[in-house]
Amino acid sequence: MHALAKIIAAHAGRDSVQVGEIVNVEPDLIMLNDRGAARARALLAEMGGDKVFDPERVVVVFDHHYPAIRPQDAEAQKVTRVWTKAQAISKFHAGEGIGHVLFPEKGYARPGSLIFGTDSHTVTNGALGCFSTGLGHSDIASGLALGYNWLRVPEVLRVVLHGELKPWVTAKDIVLKIAQDYGEDAAVYQAVEFTGPLVRSLCMDERLVLTNMVIDFGAKAGYIQPDEITFDYLRSRQVTSGWTVYETDGEADYARTIEIDVTELDSLVALPHDLSNVVTAGEAAHIEVDEAIFGTCTGGRINDFRLAAEIMRGRHVADNCRMMVNPGSADVFQQAMREGLIQIMVEAGAVIGVPGCGPCTGCHQGMMAAGEMGITSASRNFRGRMGSPDSSLIVASPATVAASAIAGHVVSPSEFLVKQ
Amino acid sequence: MKIRGRTWTFGVNVNTDLIFPKPHFRPAYEPGEMASHLMAGIDEGFASKVRPGDIIVGGLNFGCGSSREEAAGAMREAGIAAVVAPSFGRLFMRNGINFGIPIVALADIDRHVTEGDELEIDLDISSLRNLATGYHASLAPMAPESLRMMQEGGIKAYTRRILAERRAAGA
Repeated sequence: MHALAKIIAAHAGRDSVQVGEIVNVEPDLIMLNDRGAARARALLAEMGGDKVFDPERVVVVFDHHYPAIRPQDAEAQKVTRVWTKAQAISKFHAGEGIGHVLFPEKGYARPGSLIFGTDSHTVTNGALGCFSTGLGHSDIASGLALGYNWLRVPEVLRVVLHGELKPWVTAKDIVLKIAQDYGEDAAVYQAVEFTGPLVRSLCMDERLVLTNMVIDFGAKAGYIQPDEITFDYLRSRQVTSGWTVYETDGEADYARTIEIDVTELDSLVALPHDLSNVVTAGEAAHIEVDEAIFGTCTGGRINDFRLAAEIMRGRHVADNCRMMVNPGSADVFQQAMREGLIQIMVEAGAVIGVPGCGPCTGCHQGMMAAGEMGITSASRNFRGRMGSPDSSLIVASPATVAASAIAGHVVSPSEFLVKQ
Repeated sequence: MKIRGRTWTFGVNVNTDLIFPKPHFRPAYEPGEMASHLMAGIDEGFASKVRPGDIIVGGLNFGCGSSREEAAGAMREAGIAAVVAPSFGRLFMRNGINFGIPIVALADIDRHVTEGDELEIDLDISSLRNLATGYHASLAPMAPESLRMMQEGGIKAYTRRILAERRAAGA
């Protein structure tokens, strides 16, 4: 069995499960974000449920719509606060950051755990060696009522990464390469495990980018086998116990293996409106950008801020461009302030927003007008996702976003990091 | 379970942002409200053209992207009888099953249907027929668990029944 199948079996009360089998699993944690919480509590009531199965296993995060911009969101949040208290749910985070950044930070995501969430990027947590995936609101409401959900045991696609990254090339460029070569449906219904010598050397922030984006090529979960980097990360978050490491039995547990050497990889961008519409940043240099969107659950961690600040230090955002920055969490925000990175970005003309999803899901500050072109460190370039239905998006690494904001057009970060 | 309906065709990688755009999100929906925005990201007028019993035919990776179940919810409310595509975004597929909508994966189906063709799908014998062209294909049988949940009317009905059974057992 693959480690993920073992995690599923353990949460199904079984010794073993088979790929393709549908089983009921009891999650360790269910994450509800603002809108997810509002819908799930309403649906829970419609289903005839009055209490969540276990308040200790529910986490409520306000990240998409917080602080509320529209009165209707404020109303929904008000009701959710009352509901959260009435349900005796104590794990409540408003304005502290994006759920997918908070779960690793708060020690909610641990090796061997099984997590469901009301958001497709819940897959991010898999970097810590757990099974974590998004579900629809009715699914989540059913899970809150019954304490279990159905799950099909997935095939596993193995992505083996070799070689060494150039200094300005990041995990984001690797996932864009996968989207380019294998398409947005590369791993539909499957889980994706990242392994190989390169993965073993990546820090947790970068690993989280790999697993974050597996949903964007169709996968239901991402996975990285826990190692010393994982355990160091957990210790740094004051998590010292309460996890189980599962090991994959062997070759037969992989449906398919992809080998990628990243040594020659350069900064990539996904042009509107498909993630598989990928070219190098150099090839897209003729495209001017009106807005640079820095942050999100894909690209708003401290590692991203460090690289961006290095690019932006002593420079200024181009006249034809504006830059919106949302730290992934309050913790990231504070660390970036301690290191002087926020100072550098503000001096360069960036606008700093609240820790949270920012404009990424089209519901917070930084919307774009019709005809405008944005470049974002987020995961999706769907048409009109961050504003007018007639606005367009380019997806890139945080470093490429920062560099492009300075240049006013798409550019490889190597232009600023190498040619000083 | 036999379904017969006229088709509406869509392209590849149709994401759930397009099926149900974010500006239409509400904490709660009035009856008919979700259906009135179905496919609004592609065709604002779609909701007024589609009729209960119609079938949606998509390209590869239909319903990819965000987990928003309004994409499936709006189809259920509009009375979409089935969705057929070569492959589906997993969350859309899952939400479809949970809403009691037959989600039928069939390789190359997008090349065998012209919009308006009438399809006949028989889930009991796992077959699909294009009545306009005579094209016929066998379907991979649906997992019995999924079929049961669909026939029960979706996850809402399922959860209600289990909760009632638990209450009865506790009483």
